[in-house]
Amino acid sequence: MKRAPWYLAVGAIAGFAGVLGLTGRTAAPAASASKGQGSGTQGGQQGTGSGGAAPASTGQPAQATAPGGVHTASGALEQYGYGELSVKVTANGNKITNVTVPTLRTAEQYSQQLASQVIPMLKSQVLAADSARINGVSGATYTSQAYAMSLQAALDKLHIR
Amino acid sequence: MISDPVGAPSGPGADRPALLTHAEPAMGTVFSVVMVPGDLAGPDLRSALRAACATLHHANAVFSTWDRQSPVSRFRRGEADLGQLPGEVAEVVADCRSARQISGGWFDPWAMPGGFDPTGLVKGWAVDRALAILRESGMAGAMVNGGGDLAAFGFPAPGQRWRVGIRHPWCADALAGIIEVGAAVATSGSYERGAHLIDPATAQPAGRSASATVTGPSLAMADALATAVAVGGDEALAVVAGVGGYDAYLIRPDGTETQTGGIAFVS
Repeated sequence: MKRAPWYLAVGAIAGFAGVLGLTGRTAAPAASASKGQGSGTQGGQQGTGSGGAAPASTGQPAQATAPGGVHTASGALEQYGYGELSVKVTANGNKITNVTVPTLRTAEQYSQQLASQVIPMLKSQVLAADSARINGVSGATYTSQAYAMSLQAALDKLHIR
Repeated sequence: MISDPVGAPSGPGADRPALLTHAEPAMGTVFSVVMVPGDLAGPDLRSALRAACATLHHANAVFSTWDRQSPVSRFRRGEADLGQLPGEVAEVVADCRSARQISGGWFDPWAMPGGFDPTGLVKGWAVDRALAILRESGMAGAMVNGGGDLAAFGFPAPGQRWRVGIRHPWCADALAGIIEVGAAVATSGSYERGAHLIDPATAQPAGRSASATVTGPSLAMADALATAVAVGGDEALAVVAGVGGYDAYLIRPDGTETQTGGIAFVS
């Protein structure tokens, strides 16, 4: 049985960063995400996932750990609105257990400051979103072109339960 | 242009997957379908999905305001009476009239530039119809998401309610919140397709919201009320607060938020 391709989340994660500094509700503080922070791989194989919102068609991750095992994947360097970052996700089976940001490049000092505030929230939000297991996304009507880049399209591929 | 959905459903496992998903392009967007088969056999499931998709394409044919020969376009130009058009047109016009009254005039398809335009309600109406077909098939549960407006019945898994992320208005990949629902959720905003939300009072694009979400039993009505709150902001939210069974969640242009009592945010 093929497990949900959790690495698809890597592309979407970059998008979380751009806004969390602006929104009022940001779930748990960084503390909830700090467990295991910086530890990177937790004993599994390492691989590279393809970033981007439609990664299923653009590449396959190198990870090959059996379902249920601990594994990590690093996303490609992503533009996130204020600079570039890459995200490394550690998962145990389908469950995301940690998120780290090994690469962060910003153009301006302001962006660096903003990013340093945003990224701890990014981690907690990704972890929260994973545990939330949403079934759908409600938003202003997207065009069929915009659908391809949407979180709903990622969900349709992920079969998140 | 219906793609045969027979081969399309796919799940995490080939043998009795818990959830099946399907994506169907229609009405200028993409409809995402999640099905909980329950005891329904594969062929019956596929046949229900095919019928649900067909009803979406039929709704598009009747209600496309882009197609100048569609029944709704002929009605807009006054070329045909309701009696001369497919029965669905009269049904949607009646729903629009009812939604205009219930929304206190904030949703008004008759105040659109270019004439009667039911777009703010008709996609929700089409999803309601598609979902009814899936329900009548006997499957255990389903959710149909019409480009961001969705409706569901049953449960995604035993003891688990449908969880819906509300898209953040300023970031396509972020969620402003997550709610649990048993029926319909509609969200309106101008962040996807520009300033199409018109204030009926001024005939100008409205600027009182960044995002407006409405939950309730009917997606046609929730869709219309979400448009109303997107246009009317706090004032329209207060109207929805008084409509039985419906709740609203508003993100204002400055990023502050407000909601009525029945919105069930997760955490």
